[in-house]
Amino acid sequence: MRQLRILFSLGIVWALIGQAAGAAAGLFLVRAIRAAANLPPSAEAELVIAAMFSVFGSLLFSGVLTDWLKWCVGIETPLRHGDPDGLPAWTRYFSVDYNHKVIGIQYGVTSIIVLLVGGILAIIFRLELSWPGEQFLTPESYNTIFSAHGIIMIASILLGVGAMVNYLVPMMIGASDMAFPRLNAFSYWIAIPSAILIMAGMVIGDGWETGWVGYPPLSTIDGSPLGTQLFILGFYFNGFSSIAGAINLLVTVMIMRAKGMSLWRMPIFVWAAIATSLIQFTATQTVGAAQLMVTTQRVLKLGFFDPTFSNGLGWPAGDPILYQHLFWFYSHPVVYVFVLPGLGIISELLPVYSRKPLFGYKWVALSSLGIALVGFLVWAHHMFTSGMADVLRIPFMLATLLVAIPTGVKFFSWVGTIWGGKVTFETPMLFVLGAISVFLIGGLTGPILGTIPTDLHLHDSYWVVGHFHATMFGGFVFPFFAAIYYWYPKITGHMYNERLGKIHFWLMTPGFWLMSLGQMQVGIWGMRRRIYDYDPALGIEFTHALITLSALIIGWSVLIMIYNLITSSRTERVAAINPWGSRSPEWQVPSPLPEFNYYRPFEVVGEPYDYGVPGSVYVRDVPAAGD
Amino acid sequence: MNYKRHLVIASALVVPVTVIAYFLIAISYKLPFQGSAEAVKIDVMMQAHFVLIAFLFSLVAVLMLYGLVVFRRREGDDGDGDHIHGNTTLEILWTVVPLILVIGFGIWGVNLLNELTDAEAKPNQLLVHVQGQRWSWNFSYPELGVNAPANERAMVREVDDPNDSNNIDLILPVNRPIVLEMVSIDVLHSFWVPEFRVKQDLVPGQTTYLRFTPTAVGNYKLGCAEICGGRHAYMMATVRVVSEACFDQLVVQQLPLAEADASCQYEAMPNYPDSAK
Repeated sequence: MRQLRILFSLGIVWALIGQAAGAAAGLFLVRAIRAAANLPPSAEAELVIAAMFSVFGSLLFSGVLTDWLKWCVGIETPLRHGDPDGLPAWTRYFSVDYNHKVIGIQYGVTSIIVLLVGGILAIIFRLELSWPGEQFLTPESYNTIFSAHGIIMIASILLGVGAMVNYLVPMMIGASDMAFPRLNAFSYWIAIPSAILIMAGMVIGDGWETGWVGYPPLSTIDGSPLGTQLFILGFYFNGFSSIAGAINLLVTVMIMRAKGMSLWRMPIFVWAAIATSLIQFTATQTVGAAQLMVTTQRVLKLGFFDPTFSNGLGWPAGDPILYQHLFWFYSHPVVYVFVLPGLGIISELLPVYSRKPLFGYKWVALSSLGIALVGFLVWAHHMFTSGMADVLRIPFMLATLLVAIPTGVKFFSWVGTIWGGKVTFETPMLFVLGAISVFLIGGLTGPILGTIPTDLHLHDSYWVVGHFHATMFGGFVFPFFAAIYYWYPKITGHMYNERLGKIHFWLMTPGFWLMSLGQMQVGIWGMRRRIYDYDPALGIEFTHALITLSALIIGWSVLIMIYNLITSSRTERVAAINPWGSRSPEWQVPSPLPEFNYYRPFEVVGEPYDYGVPGSVYVRDVPAAGD
Repeated sequence: MNYKRHLVIASALVVPVTVIAYFLIAISYKLPFQGSAEAVKIDVMMQAHFVLIAFLFSLVAVLMLYGLVVFRRREGDDGDGDHIHGNTTLEILWTVVPLILVIGFGIWGVNLLNELTDAEAKPNQLLVHVQGQRWSWNFSYPELGVNAPANERAMVREVDDPNDSNNIDLILPVNRPIVLEMVSIDVLHSFWVPEFRVKQDLVPGQTTYLRFTPTAVGNYKLGCAEICGGRHAYMMATVRVVSEACFDQLVVQQLPLAEADASCQYEAMPNYPDSAK
């Protein structure tokens, strides 16, 4: 009985129940209305309304809206905090909680679970691609799986970014929490039903076959599978999470920094979080609009992207390329949402393990903003072969090449930080170095795609696949894993197993190089993207077998990390207060941090990375009145 | 620590490593056969990129690895590194030098693109109409008033599913500037023959153009490079670049393949890609 009571106290259980109930309500409503109006049943309309209702149902039942709804009718609700009454402490991680560290961990664990789902999908279609010819998938299921792999990994990355930003930023700037704790919880709890919608799209209504980009007319054409619609709506609702989270973060950093923490004295990761949030806050709306337009085109036959559209009233026909502009106006900048926090982690950890100040702090900080800004001006480089106006291609080519400059500043600053340091090689540092090496591959293979003449060959080839996997792994996955290992003692109070951590690194890094370099090789030899089967005459069979093998190695290495994280939390070992000798405020106090982070507020009295200056500190406790 | 001396040694190491890196790239990333005049021009730029990739990779990798080895913490040393905040001269240097490189590549790219997309009619150019549909290609020659002949031989593609194989070949005369005017009747597609190096999407409701001059007789493979649904991988066709005489027989006169000259037969022509890499 007690177990049952605990189970039904969990917000996640109610979120799932709410999602099912909402879907059923939406379905019933549409059927009833259409029956009452003597209309034939429409699976498409039922699905859209059911999906929308399912998100509302999930939010309502999970309890994340409860406080706000009570406020609407004049009931005041104090900010609930601390462990839940009468329930085990762990249950707060499965329910709506307003503490930024709890939400950060919820984001992080969800991110890893979603990463595993996306990874399993990758392994499935890599096995299919190991040899030419049909193995065990049909072309349609292959299309569904690679499309789902793309968007599910993006969902995982956004959750991982949410984890790092939520957990780290308030702690680093000395805030007790985020500025809007309820909005913070909302950002997480709306990501859950969105991810479920996307995954449901794989199994309900024949999946979908558009890739994660969802270009019309393929996504809107008659007979396109119903799963497409669920994917589009999941994508759409996930945007709320990004926008709300970004506003919250920006306000928090602007108004809640500790005394003395001027902008130039913030930990460098906070700069990256600002740059990321500015992008999320300003670009996400565009892709939301594009997804709604696709939905209205599918359901209501509005012809935004349909060149054959005619309503008899003289409205202009639609344009498929318009979608690509709207889509990439978000989806290119969002690439920098994925990588800027990771690059911030690299810059944050290198000084600690090099025992030396971050080389060119201001340049590194401004390079993040520079990347974010230039990132808004390059979207059409995804469309160099799309048939858009020739005159537009040139400014986008020039702007694209400019991205190399702030990125180069980061690389050289990292080398400068190492130069003359006293470097040690614990697991987090290994992942930082792995991240630099992988991001270097990703970065250097970009300009050849940026100059249009060379892009005409490489566009939509496996070169692109290799290039962006290197940027995603170097800019997000490796730094994310570095951050997990680095702050694991802070989060749990236990030390991870160093040996397993190193095994993870030495499997994953060479595995990744092999995979990414192999993908680029088959691409330059003529392998097209998103194909289910390939021509053996290209001479790429051996490389494909290697790519599959390395994907398997990467998969196993991640499982080793998960095993390490779970078993290490059960050991007796207690991590020292400051195992890394960091100057950052969170490492000056015992782990894990208390509910509101610091028992005594601190003030900033030095530079964040002044390693090598005897006796200098970054922060100290604010003297209490009368001291 | 003598940073200057270490910097000189490391920089000297960058040179041989660059050469090795370029050599490895050149053998591992060998570009497909050059089947068009455009491929020759584009490949010059590709090689320039490869040199730059080799150099920048070596620069960062050598300096980083050298730094990690030389500046590793020694046993029993608990101290910090030297307190070096940064160096404005260096920062400006590594902002300005890449900027110059980027501007150089930008200007080159603009000029080359203008050359590749030059819409001015060339003497002797041939207009070909390309229609993409799920999941096959159709070709016709509006100036000659003929369609591309059906492929009488069973498919030359091994990868294909016989159920929906494309049975029309695109036959092009060698060394004549080709202009493809392309339309799609359903979803997006993309025309890519790797040996020609150029690629262009087909967009419903619009006509898009692709210009190139094939320079070598042979059988090439055209594949759709934009996801278009279930059989996307199999939306392929054979592109046959033939001599002017064969083009005259096969397309202008519409002779059946069996009656055409022996040099126009499939077997008489090299196949690209050449799987013996």
